Amino acid sequence: MQHEPYDIGPARPRLDALAKACGAELFSADSYPPGLLWAGARRCGVPHGILRGVDAAAARALPGVHAVLTREDVPGSNRQGIVHKDMPVLCGTRVRHCGDPVALVVAESRDILRQALALVRVDIEPLPVLADIDAALAPDAPLIHEADGSNVLLAAEIRKGDAEEALAQCDVVLEETFFTPSQAHAFLETENGLACLDEDGVLHLTVSTQAPFRDRFEIGHALGLAPWKIRVHSPFLGGGFGGKDGATVQCLLALAALRLPGRTIKMWWDREESFLAGYKRHAARMHYRLGAMHDGTLKSVVCRLWYDSGAYAHLGGEIMELGMEHAAGPYRVEHMDCRGLCVYTNNPVAGAFRGFGVAQVSLAFEGMMDRLAGRLGRDPLDLRRQNALRRGDRNCAGVTLTSSVGLDECLRRVRDHELWTTRHTWKKAAPPFTRRGVGIAAVFNGMGYGRGLADNAIAKIELTPDGRFVIYSGVPDMGQGNASTFAQIAGEMLCQDAGRLEVVQPDTERAHPSGSASAGRTTYTFGQALIKACELMTAKLVRRAALALMIDEPGGITLVPGAVRHLPTGKELPLAAMGAMLPRDDRVCVAEYLMPVSREVPDTGRDFPLGFPHLIFPFAAHLVRVEVDELTGLVRVCDYLAATDGGRVLNPQNFHQQIEGAVAQGLGFALMEGFGTENARITTPDLSTYLIPTSLDFPDTQSVAVETLEHSGPFGMKGVGEVGLNGPLPAVASALSDALGARIDRAPVTPAMILELLASRGAQA
Amino acid sequence: MSAYLPGTLTDLWDLLEEADTAVMAGGTDLLVRRRAGKCAGRICCLERIPELRGVQEEEGVLEIGATTTLTDLLESATVAARLPMLHQAVRQLGSPLVRNQATLGGNMCTASPAGDTLPALYALGAQAVLLSRRTERVLDVAEFIAGPGRTALEPGEILARVRIPLPEPNAVQHFEKVGRRRALAISVASLAAVLRLDGDVVRDIRLAFGSVAPTVLRCAEAEAWLTDRTLTADNLRHAAGLVRSAVLPIDDVRATADYRRQVAGNLLLRLETYRP
Repeated sequence: MQHEPYDIGPARPRLDALAKACGAELFSADSYPPGLLWAGARRCGVPHGILRGVDAAAARALPGVHAVLTREDVPGSNRQGIVHKDMPVLCGTRVRHCGDPVALVVAESRDILRQALALVRVDIEPLPVLADIDAALAPDAPLIHEADGSNVLLAAEIRKGDAEEALAQCDVVLEETFFTPSQAHAFLETENGLACLDEDGVLHLTVSTQAPFRDRFEIGHALGLAPWKIRVHSPFLGGGFGGKDGATVQCLLALAALRLPGRTIKMWWDREESFLAGYKRHAARMHYRLGAMHDGTLKSVVCRLWYDSGAYAHLGGEIMELGMEHAAGPYRVEHMDCRGLCVYTNNPVAGAFRGFGVAQVSLAFEGMMDRLAGRLGRDPLDLRRQNALRRGDRNCAGVTLTSSVGLDECLRRVRDHELWTTRHTWKKAAPPFTRRGVGIAAVFNGMGYGRGLADNAIAKIELTPDGRFVIYSGVPDMGQGNASTFAQIAGEMLCQDAGRLEVVQPDTERAHPSGSASAGRTTYTFGQALIKACELMTAKLVRRAALALMIDEPGGITLVPGAVRHLPTGKELPLAAMGAMLPRDDRVCVAEYLMPVSREVPDTGRDFPLGFPHLIFPFAAHLVRVEVDELTGLVRVCDYLAATDGGRVLNPQNFHQQIEGAVAQGLGFALMEGFGTENARITTPDLSTYLIPTSLDFPDTQSVAVETLEHSGPFGMKGVGEVGLNGPLPAVASALSDALGARIDRAPVTPAMILELLASRGAQA
Repeated sequence: MSAYLPGTLTDLWDLLEEADTAVMAGGTDLLVRRRAGKCAGRICCLERIPELRGVQEEEGVLEIGATTTLTDLLESATVAARLPMLHQAVRQLGSPLVRNQATLGGNMCTASPAGDTLPALYALGAQAVLLSRRTERVLDVAEFIAGPGRTALEPGEILARVRIPLPEPNAVQHFEKVGRRRALAISVASLAAVLRLDGDVVRDIRLAFGSVAPTVLRCAEAEAWLTDRTLTADNLRHAAGLVRSAVLPIDDVRATADYRRQVAGNLLLRLETYRP
């Protein structure tokens, strides 16, 4: 099989599979260069307060301590943030959540670092704690960011038609309030990196990051450095899920490296620090009113959303925007009035997380659909099909869907599946002390950055002197497999086998600037750029081969594994010969791609400077079968089916892995992962109190691909990194409602909630 | 950090005379506490002392060495055949990695109300054999465990073995653990029950509840009510009420006290499935 092209379509094994299985692939955390020093942050441990002073004398005096830095030592603006720059590198006068850093310690070893951190004395005058959205919105609430004049990070609206007026005309109006919790990414490799300032004044960082190119600007802004003097390398990540999009260790590491030129500094948060200082999913409250006609036609949605941003902005406004843009679900709804408030509190900092604002509203809009089906006595799946968005429809934000829309087909696959067709007999066969329920959910998730922020990528491919191709990736691989898919794209375009393809992980010095690994855009945007680069490479090699073979006309020349062949004469030129013949500048091709944006100008969403609206959406329909134990309230997920429209599938294995992983993470969100705080202090500080699913908790997901053709995408694909996370919570809520005869309005659903519902509505099932 | 690995009991007794020495039998609890800064000092590991390890049956009593790992217990044919409730409890404890390291004696000495092997040991009437340089004494498990995190061990004394009288082969052994997930979960409530049935009449019953009181709780009231009564849903429901009055649960991040109280009673209802 050695000469078989590593092509698009089959489930080709990942290029990195063997190295990862053998432990040979080095993650950022695996790097221990000789002579390294350890850096760590002293966290304030108080949710809200005035920082009166930091006494570092004892820590500085400890042998083996190289530096203890405080706010006065930070050059530049001391402010981090992707768009909204409000997060200090080191706090100077104010602390806004328990994880806020007040001092940075650099020491000879981890042990000394730990001792020194404990020796840093902090004097904080406590301020009233704003532990939730209502406390932060109270008229007399202290301001978390005084310059803003309010605790509201963003107040926004998306309106279409006249929703209130339409509601008054509806046959049925339903009302409900939903709650979703904060969630931790809980990636295997916690936040970490290394930094070193070289003799030329270039700052080198190796970081577990989703956005190496943007990191340069964020560090530069915070510390007053020219971004071009910063080089960021991003090896494979041990998980990201959005939690490594935006600065984590970067600015602290850079600060330490600036103070200790020539030394390599390592910082690696342990699990407790990751939970304390890392980003989380926004907790949300969502109040909905849905209006429909007797025949099931949806007419109007009026909703109010509150997102808890925690102490800083991160992408809070943009995240809430995505929730608002999806607020009425993947349905034709003529009228919508959606208002959102993203609010600062003293809770841990909320940020990007797979399902970016949409995972929250998915519980709400699907919960409303279930309630409507119940009210109208309709089959819930049929009701969704009746209202499902189709290509050419306008979505609830008023944007015409010009891209592929496979939702109805997803729903049909679920409808025809035996897990759905046999549901009544399955429910009746419930064993003693057990109730069974079957639920479904229809979801979607906008892809890419949206309008206002160029969603671009630049691909570079090089023919090496020994006749292989090296792809310089600009977008990190967090484990989702895009690096390998890039190789597959090149293998397809250039007709080369896996042995001749190599992907270099992002390095701002070697690759060209590209956007982040996020927003389901990674393979889509970089893939399109890479296709173009491969076309340039093919055209170049054909012309160079014509020269070398002394053929006056380059027609009839094609690439085959390892060689260029002239078809009319059968002459071949090995790629190694071509690689050796050409100078480096001539062996490299570069091309770029910019994701299209909506050309419509909806008369709404003006509050969003960027990220509104989106044009391309993957869709999915999920089904879950659950068993509830009446004695303990424990829920067992028995079967799971996910039908996903991600356009054409480039690699079935990678596709299904994305869905399976997202479903597991989504089921965790539904049934166990509530990141807890009490008065803004964390109650789930580690993995023994914050539970994530194990392999025993859930069944294998049956993943079905609905392969629509997305004309704008590489080989017809759309990104599916996020959509799979949005389905499990509403599907489980729907299944539990079916089992218990009582509606679910919040997550995670705990056994105690189930017992309460059984006690209150027990007679109905 | 100093760690010692004595190979004989004689060496062990010398080491235990040093102040500030913690005994370690697996370390899956102790090392977690150390990492969190909750304990320090020297560590003396028991794992290389042969007398403290292994499973032996003698005259209807199973003797299990304190440093016998949970994996060893799972692999013991006698445990599987004669003590299925203990086998089940161990199978649901931690993960394979934890079970390879953790020991029965360690689980007892940690003396957590959530210790997964403890309800079974209480229900089975297990005894603890305590050893020091000069003394040997035997305590019922309920006497051995003095409170949450506290045992009857004196300085210089270790838990050497556990003695479990084997129940009659036809006795019902029932164990159920409620955790927030199916593996690697700390028990929120658990029930170990041993009962002898005469038709559908309960002749002898022992009920031990985990995670619903400062220590594992034997519920004498419920046992007395059920003895000589039929194993019906109504009788079990009445006994469940007695259980709910007897337990002393707490609120924590895993569950509320109310939930624990309700479920402790509910767990009893499952016994109806043993009714012939």
